[in-house]
Amino acid sequence: MKELAGRLAALDPDAGAAVRVIAYFDRLAETRAGVEALVRGAAVLAGCPARLVDAERRVVLRVEPDGRRRDPAAEPDPGWPSAPLVPGGPGALWLERAQAGPSVVDAVILERAAAAVRSVLDRTRGRAPAAPAEDPALVETVLDATAPEPVRLHAARRLGLDTADPALRARALAPAEGPPRIVAAQETADVTRSGNTLPAHGGGAAAPGRRGTGPAHPGFPGDAGPGGDAVRSERLGIGPAVPVLDLPRSWAAARLALRFTGEGDGLDPGQRVVCADELGAIGLLADLVVPGAQPHPDVRAVETAAADAPWMLRTLHAVAATGSLRAAAAEAGVHHSTLQTRLAHAEHLLGWPVRTPQGRFRLQLALTLRHLIRRN
Amino acid sequence: MSPTPPPPPFDPELAASLELIKDMISPGLSMDEIPAARQGAGIELLGRLDLSMGGAFAVEDRTVPGPQGAPDVSLLICRPASADPAEPLPVIYHVHGGGMVLGDNRAGVDGPLAWAYELGAVVVSVEYRLAPEHPHPAPIDDVYAGLLWTVRHAKEIGGDPDRIVLAGASAGGGLTAALALLLRDRQGPPVIGQLLMCPMLDDRNDTVSSHQMAGLGVWDRTANETGWTALLGEHRGGPDVSPYAAPARASDLSGLPPAFLDVGSAETFRDEVVAYASRIWQSGGIAELHVWPGGFHGFDGFAPQAPLSQAARAAQLDWLRRLLAR
Repeated sequence: MKELAGRLAALDPDAGAAVRVIAYFDRLAETRAGVEALVRGAAVLAGCPARLVDAERRVVLRVEPDGRRRDPAAEPDPGWPSAPLVPGGPGALWLERAQAGPSVVDAVILERAAAAVRSVLDRTRGRAPAAPAEDPALVETVLDATAPEPVRLHAARRLGLDTADPALRARALAPAEGPPRIVAAQETADVTRSGNTLPAHGGGAAAPGRRGTGPAHPGFPGDAGPGGDAVRSERLGIGPAVPVLDLPRSWAAARLALRFTGEGDGLDPGQRVVCADELGAIGLLADLVVPGAQPHPDVRAVETAAADAPWMLRTLHAVAATGSLRAAAAEAGVHHSTLQTRLAHAEHLLGWPVRTPQGRFRLQLALTLRHLIRRN
Repeated sequence: MSPTPPPPPFDPELAASLELIKDMISPGLSMDEIPAARQGAGIELLGRLDLSMGGAFAVEDRTVPGPQGAPDVSLLICRPASADPAEPLPVIYHVHGGGMVLGDNRAGVDGPLAWAYELGAVVVSVEYRLAPEHPHPAPIDDVYAGLLWTVRHAKEIGGDPDRIVLAGASAGGGLTAALALLLRDRQGPPVIGQLLMCPMLDDRNDTVSSHQMAGLGVWDRTANETGWTALLGEHRGGPDVSPYAAPARASDLSGLPPAFLDVGSAETFRDEVVAYASRIWQSGGIAELHVWPGGFHGFDGFAPQAPLSQAARAAQLDWLRRLLAR
């Protein structure tokens, strides 16, 4: 067959040969040919031995260009052209020749043969063992900016992310308790576009109650954005939706967002879930609060006021988080007049008015800095 | 007439291989396409690039006397380079294919060379005049003349005149079968076997397989009609076709050397080859028949890497090894 392959190469420009290669593997796929037939096709079309090594499924076979199977004695040479069985995965199908330069035909052979091999192996041997979706080692790899890109892509694939899809976006989640997680984001249900989906105060529901799934359950859950079905969510920072390789950035943003969360109770009112996308310039405040630094006097004033009455923090948060005193009264669960009385007392303790726009902004800043100090 | 049943499917890897060659070899062939086909790449696919097989053979083209009143015949002679001249070797007398209208003595010779390499044998491949310019009996006469020279000069080329095996594929298989009949009927020099690979035997072109494979694979009934018409003209399919043109027409298949026949199940010639083997047995003769499932015409030559082709070629070699006791 060397002669045939050689003649084909001589007769055909690359494009024509590529068309034949595609037709060849399409035909094999149609007839549900086995793995050896596919590897043989690669060897015959390339005119050199071809080898399949799938460590996960313990498949090793090698076919020479005359079509005969002769299994290998040595490891593949990393310099040979190869293709992974899954995008971003380790090389699995190899053409045993020194690569003089990129060859269009070789690339087409490898791509088509690897895709066909993958589907046969999935059909005949089952999918590779599924990684738990939250396998911390895989998640950490994807979130590690210093890990090589192919390694990160492979890990993402094993987490069930379809890295072959250029439109894929995912978010890193930073929970207050437990390891980081990753979820796929859906454009249409994107939390960042839906405006006010984050709960305005504690007790909001959030995505994280829903766990990502592994490859055994295809279809990573879509963006399980806040506003979901959990009664009381964990405290959580949500990173922006980004391409898989940008997930380390999403992770950094998620951790930042986590610092802006509150427990949502009387001692620590605030959003239990904060989305980095919604912080805007407020996020810059985080850099101002460094470990060991003295709290700003406004924050100390808030602490002093909080010590004075059990309703204080919740009331102040209601004023800071709503657009009117009427809304704040509803938020705090008190009558309007009661609120007025409480705020007069609070303003006395704080030393600045909270019912003017500027004073309310000063209160928001002080409450936010208090979160940052507590989450430093 | 009942409708034609569906064709048997091609073997998966052979089906894929057809995708590689389909632009060079189409199932059909019409008379006016013959000149283009002779220039085309298709038949070249069966030619071997290195006849010496890396120096294992000494290669020679020799012109020998043709039939009476006809031009000389050209023989391709490949002798094992390391052979001991004192020990004459078996001779494989090869007749190329090409539907009676295409090809030369290089076409398909890689098979016989591989056997000769394995078994230690001399290969002689005969050139013959092609139809339609040279209708029957020109091709078989040339093939016969080449064989006579080979027998008489066997020792000259390191061969043993008592151990000559005939071999041919497609039209070459038909001519090989015809040569065996001719040698029997003319009391010509004896040969010890005939190896008929997907042979073209029957000008009537009316078997079930010939209808089933219309428009499919390699050499369908249209091409077959073209080939036979080129050879026989208006006599094709008529009442008075010579068995030396179309061996299926022979009324007597007794007294022939042992035959090896193979054919694909998915080709025009399937039924005529099976019938020919059956008639040899019915005549008390010796035949070994292989029908390879899903094989198209000439599959082992066009796609030698496929497992079915490897099995077919191994069967050919095994038969020769037993025949030659080597």
